[in-house]
Amino acid sequence: MKRFIHILLLAFIMVPNFIQAQENAGAPTKIWSYPVIYKYDEEVTWFFDLSATTFAETEDLYLWIWSPSEPDAGNWENSSDFAKLHYEGNKVWSFKLTPTVYFSKSAEDIAASAGFWFRLKDKTGTKQSDVSNVAYTPFADFATSNELIRAYPPAPTLTGGLSILFNANLQPGFEDATSVHFHSGLNNWDLKVEYQAWLPEIVEKTQLKNLGGGIYKMDLIPSVYYNAPDGYVMENLVFLMVKDDWAGTTPDQVINAAEYIPPPPPKFMFFPTQISKRDFLGIIRTNNESNVNKLIYTITASDVVITGEFSGGVSEIKGFVDLVTKLQNVNVTEIHVNVVDNNGRVITDTNILLKPLD
Amino acid sequence: MRCKIIYLLAMISLLAVGCNEADDGHHVDPITLNEKIQGEWGLMNLKMVDEVAKAAKTEPSEQDLSTLFNYDNFRIKFNVNENNQPTTYEVTGNVPPLFALNGYWSLSSDFQQANGEAVRIYLYSDAEKTMKTDELRLASVPGSNEEMELHLVRVSGGIAFVSYKFKLNAIN
Repeated sequence: MKRFIHILLLAFIMVPNFIQAQENAGAPTKIWSYPVIYKYDEEVTWFFDLSATTFAETEDLYLWIWSPSEPDAGNWENSSDFAKLHYEGNKVWSFKLTPTVYFSKSAEDIAASAGFWFRLKDKTGTKQSDVSNVAYTPFADFATSNELIRAYPPAPTLTGGLSILFNANLQPGFEDATSVHFHSGLNNWDLKVEYQAWLPEIVEKTQLKNLGGGIYKMDLIPSVYYNAPDGYVMENLVFLMVKDDWAGTTPDQVINAAEYIPPPPPKFMFFPTQISKRDFLGIIRTNNESNVNKLIYTITASDVVITGEFSGGVSEIKGFVDLVTKLQNVNVTEIHVNVVDNNGRVITDTNILLKPLD
Repeated sequence: MRCKIIYLLAMISLLAVGCNEADDGHHVDPITLNEKIQGEWGLMNLKMVDEVAKAAKTEPSEQDLSTLFNYDNFRIKFNVNENNQPTTYEVTGNVPPLFALNGYWSLSSDFQQANGEAVRIYLYSDAEKTMKTDELRLASVPGSNEEMELHLVRVSGGIAFVSYKFKLNAIN
């Protein structure tokens, strides 16, 4: 008995060693799906942000999932191609599936299961992520909630996914609809995608998915759907649902965007405050708009013209101009400085006095 | 009688004190700043300071130029003659002429000032040292770490408005 206990103890001590033989890559920072909400028999893409893991960028990664079933069972050391993730960039990988198909289970069986439990791994299983779970958002209660419209998330963002549910049973006249369309715009119709029933591609783009039972769903990413320019600020989404070829509509609807925190205002400055012709002139702009990444300068000192440009990003664009060399043999007391951004907008157009040196 | 013996002992002991000669060692001249500064120096760091912003306590008051305008290749060599007296200096590394890139030099003092004021390195364009081009302030004197800091200060109307801080280390 005593010997048996010893063996058992030894075995337990050894267990962690076997586990550690595999490199643990860490846990996904964030997991999300598109569409935001989906039925188990709908196609969905899961996204995994692995920026905090030790998986290398563009590395071939595989889904190792055992709940609700284990499609790639027995292949830990050689994952199948069907379990391979797609690399999206920025250490984000994705996996496209239709749950009922991938797990060979009915929607009811999946709903009754423990959920989607998985690890992400390299092909041979030498590296693996922590055990994680893809959260699922059930929405069956919507049909009986007496709500006409419900949005996921309730306050959307410009670049995030958005699912809008519509209960046609609550809108008189929609009973016999053959299709329902989304007539909508961002920021009170500033950027709009109208339901132009005579354009086939618009008919398709604006059409809601019929989930059955009078329930419809619209899935979109606002920035993509409305082709929003860089730096666009989303305040709200206004829309109405349209039956067939404008046979009926819902009242106007509005969904307010997630609380938007305006960035600090841009700040332009020269460095230093006072300058002589034997100094370097710093040109600095911070808190740049997202579409500003370059400052182009033209400095005129008597008949000498100095031009150039500095690149940077939102946080800062900064560079120094060598007046020391350029104005070495020029007799000037003032320079004219013109700075424009990459969009041709004038940032400054001013004269700077050059301090005489003692 | 007893008193006399005490006097005698006292006299002898005084003699013994008087004969004691202190051993001060041999006289050695103190090391001058010329000797410490002479040689070739490479750049560790170059900062540009906005003295106006600094005085007003506004930011930014400082910018790092160490990697701009070839300053990562900046070297300055101070030469002395056989008597350890300053002769010529030269800047290499193809940098902009913030101060004259070569010429002659001298010091405002052979030793550090007791009042803490930085010793000046005067730069001249002629060997007679009559035509001053620039001056550098010796902000930190080379010691056992073989590092020194030179400041080039731009002054207008007696007021400093910009300075350049060269942090240097000795090359061999």
